[in-house]
Amino acid sequence: MSPTIVVEQLLNAAALSALLFLVSVGLSLVFGILRVVNFAHGMFYMLGAYVGYAVAVRSGSFWLGLVVAPPVVGLLGAALETFTLRFIYRRPPIYQVLLTFGLSLILEEAVRIVWGATAKSVDAPEWLQGSLLLVGAPYPRYRLFLIALGGLVAAALWLFLTRTRAGLLIRAVAQNAEMAGCLGTDVRRVRTAVFGLACALAGLGGVVAAPMLSAYLGMGIAVIVDAFVVVVIGGLGSFGGSIAGSVIVGAAQTWGNFFVSEIAMAIMYAVMAAILVFRPWGLFGEEE
Amino acid sequence: MHLTRRDFTRTVLVGGAGLGLGFPAVLRRAHAAEPIKIGVPTVLSGGNVQYGNQAKRACELFADDIRARGGLLGRPVEFVFEDTASDPATAVRRAQKLVEKDGVKFLTGVVLSSEALAVSAKCPEWKTLFMSSFTGTGALTSTKFNRYSFRPNTSGPMGARTVSLYLQESPLKRFFGLGSDYAWGRDSVGSFQRQMTAGKKEIVGTDFPPVGTKDFASYIAKIKQAKAEGCFLVLVGQDASIFFKQAAQFGLTREVKLVMEIVELENMKAVGDAMQGVIGGSRYPFTVDTPKNRDWVKRFHAKFNLWPDMFDGETYQALEWLTQAIAAAGTDDVEKVIAALEDSTYEAPEGKRVMRKCDHQAVKATWIVEAVRDAAYPHLAPKILATFPGERVTPKCRTEEFA
Repeated sequence: MSPTIVVEQLLNAAALSALLFLVSVGLSLVFGILRVVNFAHGMFYMLGAYVGYAVAVRSGSFWLGLVVAPPVVGLLGAALETFTLRFIYRRPPIYQVLLTFGLSLILEEAVRIVWGATAKSVDAPEWLQGSLLLVGAPYPRYRLFLIALGGLVAAALWLFLTRTRAGLLIRAVAQNAEMAGCLGTDVRRVRTAVFGLACALAGLGGVVAAPMLSAYLGMGIAVIVDAFVVVVIGGLGSFGGSIAGSVIVGAAQTWGNFFVSEIAMAIMYAVMAAILVFRPWGLFGEEE
Repeated sequence: MHLTRRDFTRTVLVGGAGLGLGFPAVLRRAHAAEPIKIGVPTVLSGGNVQYGNQAKRACELFADDIRARGGLLGRPVEFVFEDTASDPATAVRRAQKLVEKDGVKFLTGVVLSSEALAVSAKCPEWKTLFMSSFTGTGALTSTKFNRYSFRPNTSGPMGARTVSLYLQESPLKRFFGLGSDYAWGRDSVGSFQRQMTAGKKEIVGTDFPPVGTKDFASYIAKIKQAKAEGCFLVLVGQDASIFFKQAAQFGLTREVKLVMEIVELENMKAVGDAMQGVIGGSRYPFTVDTPKNRDWVKRFHAKFNLWPDMFDGETYQALEWLTQAIAAAGTDDVEKVIAALEDSTYEAPEGKRVMRKCDHQAVKATWIVEAVRDAAYPHLAPKILATFPGERVTPKCRTEEFA
């Protein structure tokens, strides 16, 4: 195997991991704070892709879509949390599963009605469209941009969670919501904010995924399956875990497809199963 | 005999309007002019909707044309559309509704091979004639043959044959085969592999990405790794578009000659310049340079403000051939139309086609085209590199084998 191909595949894995991270970190955060497994999370990713597409088509600017879509999707997520999820936190988990599953069906149909059934292709900005010579072979610039963006978001999120007061509150609620409430934290607001933030991150993932994969119905389902694997591997509710999980799943898929494409999917699940056997709470999760 | 209001409006709308006939004439014709109905169970929603749109456009243009000629056997022709949503079971249900409720005797415009096989299998029972216009699977005219089904269009084996014949003569030696992971992709890549190895060319690898793959990076790396000089691609519509964009970004388009079993206009529109130089088979390129075709393409463009894709053409041609047989039979009686179609000759845009009696497969020409920039069109257009006569690309009767 030539070094060019090794480098290319490493970068491919990194780009895929970056996308997976943007989606799975929100899923993980929501579970950590709200104790809800959000089946609708992938739909916010899809919604981000479509809103980004709509803005880009009307304004002619991909960047405007990148700026507009995440807050729009985030606000929608926060609203849905306020008007639906909030009422059933105390119910058994099956209620939350049913609710978020129902929401995901509604969101998918809504996208179908608004944008139709055919996939939308989105163009990256001109200077990201071409390729760059790396180790003597062209490599798509857009994928390098994805890797950089993933790293940037990870760093920013880490700083936010560890170095700001809001981040401190989030961690406090994650550790012990009742105690945090007793100490004067408005737990309900923290939950809504975290849900909104998670949706916005998924939306951001969708916007940047679109130029590489196009915006299509079903992208939400496709990504949520991978994102669940990521958080199971990394540990539900763990920030570091979603980074590690994303890297592992991205690598397993990329190299799996390269060497044994027929069983590439199986490899990913085998890794997950192995981790479930030896560390049921995930690599970075905490035993409960 | 009393004429109901609905019969009256329908007759006026379908048969009378635009003919400029006097009012009493319409009334007089109404009794005899029960419309000849053609059922079109096609994909009108979901991922394959662009194919259903092609079937619909062809029917609409054909409806205009036959109306202008005063109908068929003095009767108006009416199309009834149903949505199959790409699902074989739904396709059968909708087709049955067309046959039993709408009283159609002819079906066409079925998109997927799986749907077509399911519908075709029911046709003997329904005594309904199925005129394929998309169906690629070799089975329709071999193992699953029945006398109610006809294929005036190019089949998948014919497409793979065309590409193999063309590449036999090319200087390229090492090939990779990449096909969507389902019947069509696997059949075609398999057929390509057999024919190329028989012709002393080397197949350096094959792979089958699932339908709906969005990231082809690993597959592209594999094609590079295999040091292929050419890559044979059998990917469904949208997957092909995504593949070409990514292949261009990774520089694969420049290193490896990309060859598709079918090069569709839809792909060229979606992908743009990144597809320039790609070659492949075509079941019908709208750039066929004959007076009949030039005229048709002009009228198509005038009506839809679009240049026709492969199945716009194949569906229109299927309708033309079918109605020619109905006219020759002098009746819409299915058994008599079958007899009229068998061994019939049809003057297609590119020349003569013959409907073989033994397996109901048309002996027809196929093409190799290249996606090129042409100032006459707003997108890439198929430039014809080679035309293969029907005798060379049509399989032996009721088989998928070639002489």
